[in-house]
Amino acid sequence: MKITELFERGEFVVSAEVGPPKGIHIEHLLEEAKTYLSGITAVNVTDNQSSVMRLGSLATCKALKDKGLTPIYQLTCRDRNRIALQSDLLSAAMLGIENLLLLTGDHTKMGDHPQAKPVFDLDSVSLIHAVKKLEEGEDLGGNKLVGEPPKFAKGAVVSPCSDSIDAQLAKMERKVRAGADYFQTQAVYEPEKFIKFMEKAKQFGKPVQLGIVIPKSAGMAKFMNDNVAGIHVPQEMIDELKKDKEKTKAGITGVEIAARIIKECKPYCQGVHIMALGWESKVPDLLKQAEI
Amino acid sequence: MENYTKYKLKGCDELVPLLSGVDNLFVVACNKCFKEFETIDEPDCGEFEKIAAEHGKTVTGSAKVDFLCNKTQTEKKLQDMIPEGTEHVFVISCGLGIQTVADLAKVPVYAAADSLNYTGHHGMALTKKSCDACAQCYLNVTGGVCPIVDCSKSLVNGQCGGAKNGKCEVDSNKDCAWEKIYKRLEKQGRISEFLEQPVQVRDYSKVDFKFVNNYVKSIRENRLEGYYGGVHPSERKEFTEHLTLKKFPDPEVVVIPLSMHAGAPANPVVQVGDTVKVGQKIGEAAAFISSPIHSSVSGTVIAIEPHGHATRGECMSVVIRSDGKNTLHESVKPHKDLDSLTPDEIIDIVRESGIVGMGGAGFPTSVKLKPAKPVDTILLNGCECEPLLTADHRVLLEFADDVVFGLKAIIKTVGAEKGIIVIEDNKPDAIELMKEKTADCGNIEVVVAKTKYPQGAEKMLIKRVMKRQVPSGGLPADVGCVVSNISTTKAIADAIQKGMPLVERVVTVTGEKLKNPGNYIVKIGTNTKELIDFCGGVTGDDITIKAGGPMMGFVLSDVNVPIMKGSNGIIVVDTDHTEEQPCIKCGRCVDVCPMELSPLYFAKYADEKNWQGVKDKKIMDCIECRCCEYICSSKIPLVTKIKAGKTAVREMK
Amino acid sequence: MLITQLKAKETIVSLVGGKKVFIINCQGCKEVSFPEKEAAELQKELGASGKVTGVITTDYICNPENMKLRLQKHMGEIEAADMVLVFSCGVGVQTIAEYLEDKMVCAGCDTCRLPGFQGVTPLEYDCGQCGECYLNLTGGICPITACSKSLVNGQCGGSKNGKCEVDSNMECGWERIYRRLEKIGHLDALKCPTQVRNYATDDEVSK
Repeated sequence: MKITELFERGEFVVSAEVGPPKGIHIEHLLEEAKTYLSGITAVNVTDNQSSVMRLGSLATCKALKDKGLTPIYQLTCRDRNRIALQSDLLSAAMLGIENLLLLTGDHTKMGDHPQAKPVFDLDSVSLIHAVKKLEEGEDLGGNKLVGEPPKFAKGAVVSPCSDSIDAQLAKMERKVRAGADYFQTQAVYEPEKFIKFMEKAKQFGKPVQLGIVIPKSAGMAKFMNDNVAGIHVPQEMIDELKKDKEKTKAGITGVEIAARIIKECKPYCQGVHIMALGWESKVPDLLKQAEI
Repeated sequence: MENYTKYKLKGCDELVPLLSGVDNLFVVACNKCFKEFETIDEPDCGEFEKIAAEHGKTVTGSAKVDFLCNKTQTEKKLQDMIPEGTEHVFVISCGLGIQTVADLAKVPVYAAADSLNYTGHHGMALTKKSCDACAQCYLNVTGGVCPIVDCSKSLVNGQCGGAKNGKCEVDSNKDCAWEKIYKRLEKQGRISEFLEQPVQVRDYSKVDFKFVNNYVKSIRENRLEGYYGGVHPSERKEFTEHLTLKKFPDPEVVVIPLSMHAGAPANPVVQVGDTVKVGQKIGEAAAFISSPIHSSVSGTVIAIEPHGHATRGECMSVVIRSDGKNTLHESVKPHKDLDSLTPDEIIDIVRESGIVGMGGAGFPTSVKLKPAKPVDTILLNGCECEPLLTADHRVLLEFADDVVFGLKAIIKTVGAEKGIIVIEDNKPDAIELMKEKTADCGNIEVVVAKTKYPQGAEKMLIKRVMKRQVPSGGLPADVGCVVSNISTTKAIADAIQKGMPLVERVVTVTGEKLKNPGNYIVKIGTNTKELIDFCGGVTGDDITIKAGGPMMGFVLSDVNVPIMKGSNGIIVVDTDHTEEQPCIKCGRCVDVCPMELSPLYFAKYADEKNWQGVKDKKIMDCIECRCCEYICSSKIPLVTKIKAGKTAVREMK
Repeated sequence: MLITQLKAKETIVSLVGGKKVFIINCQGCKEVSFPEKEAAELQKELGASGKVTGVITTDYICNPENMKLRLQKHMGEIEAADMVLVFSCGVGVQTIAEYLEDKMVCAGCDTCRLPGFQGVTPLEYDCGQCGECYLNLTGGICPITACSKSLVNGQCGGSKNGKCEVDSNMECGWERIYRRLEKIGHLDALKCPTQVRNYATDDEVSK
């Protein structure tokens, strides 16, 4: 099922994210996904997230699909040239994987193989363009595909709380023009900024899923402020997290905060995307608190 | 010679849409680099203007510029270039030139050309690309054949299976690089060495833009520090910089040229057979720009005849046989103290003592001390930026008090407000000592300058220290400065304090090919050969001997020439065997010329005997510092050509 | 023009082993870059072992004519050596290796690209010689070199406080581009069609 169909029906689409392990055993991942994420619409599978080499996204997507979940295949431009990217897209279609999230990808220097050659033959925009062409029955080289072309829900990302909103909107527009069907955002901690962004992004008429990372602790919030692009956790929120010291309560404040953000932003977006980062077990509670 | 196409004009299919909606264009075209140097115009600019005109666009003007990527020069050129009313600038050049203009112009800048990924661009203009700058050179494993460039797949562990009959699968005209490597290694008996190599895995993180950017930044800062251009030749001062001054043994015979200065040669006032004493005047100044000369020994005049001369070929000289007694002439006696002397009296003493610029140029110091314009600052030039030479350095260390005295005398004579002693940072001991010696002089300051050649050139020194620009054809006095050399200043002190005219000087005798280098106090007129012999002679036969430093010194084809007032050094170095190659228009001479000239045109026009051309390119501003020749990748003897050009321009008048 | 960096001392020492070596330093691009002091120090150490048959320091060895003239008088020393160690960019090493085809010729330096090698002056910005100039779409800032990922359709999500994810001292190239376009009133450029790079070979691009 393509998640674009749900957007079209006016549903509030909820997705969550899982990261494949560095190894070949994914039983645990499947178990957690089945237990905590069955209730939601779709599950993103990251593609060598943070440039750290892991089990492949496509294989993990297939395993999730076999368990009855709807995977979203994340694909970055860092590790493959246009031949490999298009080939993998065809493989995905053949395996019945219909939802894509197309990204540029972190630089190789950010991960565990800094010596690797960064590819970036295509970038997020040209990758969307390539997918669109495949859907039209032609590859980037202008050669015809044999038989019925694949059809995907083409997702892209945007950073609504980044330093330069105008530059983000410009890039978003390029992605829309290239053929993006829906957007997932970077984690949002400043609902006002997000709402302001959405006022402007409305013009593109594409559904946007609010990005949520549950703040696990004040330390994590500070780390994100210092190191993660497009994220700013306001000081009041950090102070609030600091109060959540009792171990038994660990995470409760974070979930509360996340739920509050979702509630506040819900009228302005078409869905939510939860990056649980190992806290998959808290997702059901978060959704309940957010009244979804 | 192969020309490289650095860029090509975009096609009409791209230019026409680019032109739509814009008007009042100005066109800047780069004259291209790394190509045969011709002075004809590149066609691209005209072609573009034609296309613009065909589409009804107003072109406000166009300009063709050399080395558009040279930011400093382009910035100056652009200032008055773009006319009022220009709304858009179109640039025809490689990406570097376009970006330089885009950074500087206040209106939108467009690229009218695409930079091409041409082969070969490193070092000399090579006809083939042979290095990809991968930052992890593999040549040691491959017998000197580059696998990154020569193998289509840049494989580093051996050939793929694609070669057919020794040719690459990608291009059947191309030899398989790995077969070439294998053959080379086999020939050198290094196959087993190759087989034992660990597996090579490329490290792409090594091409580190941060390192490169930092590096480039420091290079540019170095290059532009204080004044545009200049170079950093290896200093090689360690041979002599720590050797204390020694008195050179008295020569038996001295040969004193009547011309050791700028201007008219002196008229002899002694005759063969005359007895002379140390400090006795033997030649009289023949004009306003001239200088008297004095005997450096006591003895008998045995000849007045033409004799070999380091810079003039031959020169009328007074030959004196020393009696070995060094009897002082009665005129040699201390003058009044500095406070009692008037400026005019000091000028007289300096003139009568035969003091001329001892840095090499030999301009009469007395003339300099009577500037036509008010002077506020005296710059004492302690840079000694010439490699190898350490004479001024030793004078600073061993005659510090005399140097300070001399400076005070100059300040008084010229009526300046203050004196600045400028010393390059490679002489920390001299800096410390001079600071100490001038600590209680309110109007004397010691300034430390970062080493760069030719910092000791007057105009550079003034720009560096005073941030003042001597106008084209002007003198330091035009910007309120007088620059004096260290040894000259010391000579002024000797003339006032001891009444001793200029009869000896400090000479550095050095170089890789001299056995025992040293710094000597040498009597004027001492034979250069005696100096070299005293220093143990030379090693090897393929050597070059120069009077002066390696940059601005004169080659001595015959060492039977006397030491003169301007002889700061005698150097013996390896002969460099090169042949002049055609100019490849690499632009390095433009990048290093401290006078911001375009030396490549001097060579080109001199060969064509286009003297108006060299004049228009401001050849007369050239200070002959030899930076252009030093950096020239084609080994063009630029300074020789420039000298010929200057002579021709002088004759044009 | 290229930048050279001295190889690690251990690498050079193990390369030389016990061999007799002739050393060539090329300082032609010294005003651009040559690790002069470091190389001299290392060679002094090599020389102390008594296995150095000769050292010459010259310039532009990539110019074969002058290089041959200059090597001539050292041919005896070169003959006497087991290997020739060249401290220069890769071009110089290969020029020597080709000339002394029967000799083991090794490199003492690694070579890095120098921005500005296409023209004359090393500048802080570069031209990637991509053959399909994007400067018109970017307000005159090269996205190939100003962006760590050489993206041609806009910024990635990695910049933080306007700095690149790869190096917090490097400004995000696309933010610079955006600001420039805004300043010159040319934001329309961002509405151009999706750009897909053409990596075709030099020859094809030149045609």
